Amino acid sequence: MGDGSGDDDLFGTILLADERFRGEGYEQGFEKGTRRGLEDGRRHGARHGAKLAAEVSFYYGFAVTWKCLLQHNTDVKARKRTKALETLLDLIQNSVHDDPQSARLQEDMEKIRAKFRQQTTYLRATEVTPPACTVQSSVTYKDHFWNPTHYSRTAEATPLQLSPRTTSS
Amino acid sequence: MSWVKSVLYSGEDVFDENADDLTLQNKEWTSNMKKRVRDGYVDGLDAGEEASLQVGFNLGFREGAAQTVAVGRLKGIVSAIWCWCQIQHPESPVPSSVTELLQRVSQHEDKIMGGIKKALENPPPSVSAVSESMEDLEVDQADSGCCGEECEETNCSRGGEIMEQDVIQQPQKLCSQSADYNGSGESLNHLLQCCMDVVSELGMPQELMSHIQELNNM
Repeated sequence: MGDGSGDDDLFGTILLADERFRGEGYEQGFEKGTRRGLEDGRRHGARHGAKLAAEVSFYYGFAVTWKCLLQHNTDVKARKRTKALETLLDLIQNSVHDDPQSARLQEDMEKIRAKFRQQTTYLRATEVTPPACTVQSSVTYKDHFWNPTHYSRTAEATPLQLSPRTTSS
Repeated sequence: MSWVKSVLYSGEDVFDENADDLTLQNKEWTSNMKKRVRDGYVDGLDAGEEASLQVGFNLGFREGAAQTVAVGRLKGIVSAIWCWCQIQHPESPVPSSVTELLQRVSQHEDKIMGGIKKALENPPPSVSAVSESMEDLEVDQADSGCCGEECEETNCSRGGEIMEQDVIQQPQKLCSQSADYNGSGESLNHLLQCCMDVVSELGMPQELMSHIQELNNM
């Protein structure tokens, strides 16, 4: 009987030791994993953030300049175009393009690109190649890390080309 | 369970003929416990990464955006000037000052993007990458005490400190990379100045100047 209770104590000791060692290993692994995840995530995020910001701020710079250049032009067409440019600028300013997890991000980007495309063909500009990137959806690391096909689609997209005087205004 | 009993009471056993058995049983015990640590470590590693990837991504996203927002806008400005020149004077070529400036701004942007891409593809070695070995683990185990919950808390706060240090260090890495490119290529300030010179040269609206100057503060 003494042996029986002794065995129970031993079994308990083994279980505790087992869990303790496993637990210590887990904690150390978790620390390292957290650091690694932060670093990796940060580098990936930086690339996407940089591409998106470059694209959006390009559209902004272009639109704000064109608006400046048109302001001395008082004809009806010029005023219409200025109004449309203001719409684009408002769209950019109100969009949420610094939060990669925003559900609105993709929607906003599509609207901005469409508006810019419309404006530049409308303005009948000649071959300018703005940067373009395609953020396919709200950017979660899962979309980009765990879905390799999705991630490859976010690589360089065809730049927007502005057609020279082939569209009606 | 006899091997466990042997380990726990080994201090009392002095007969040589049992010595080999004891050593083997000790080794078996140690090897089993090492395996537990290793298994726990691997699970912890996965869980830690999973938990922090998105956080890191969001952080990096904003940092990356901050690096290109000014040059992107400048590129838009210069592109618009280029287009304007083309439309206003379709019979003559766009002034070379504008064409050159556009090229230089594009190159500057490419350099920044290149730096970020390079950091992604060839990440700098971190302390965590260098010290990933079982030997280090054993050292850590020796350092940590065996006081159950107290021990865990110590580890947690230590981990927290380590994480903070890493987090603080990272922005410097990203910033210094872009600074390097600014240094070796052209500085954004210089490009802004050139742009203002072009605007002046072409007699463009003064309002445009303030839009360009605004980029200095971004």
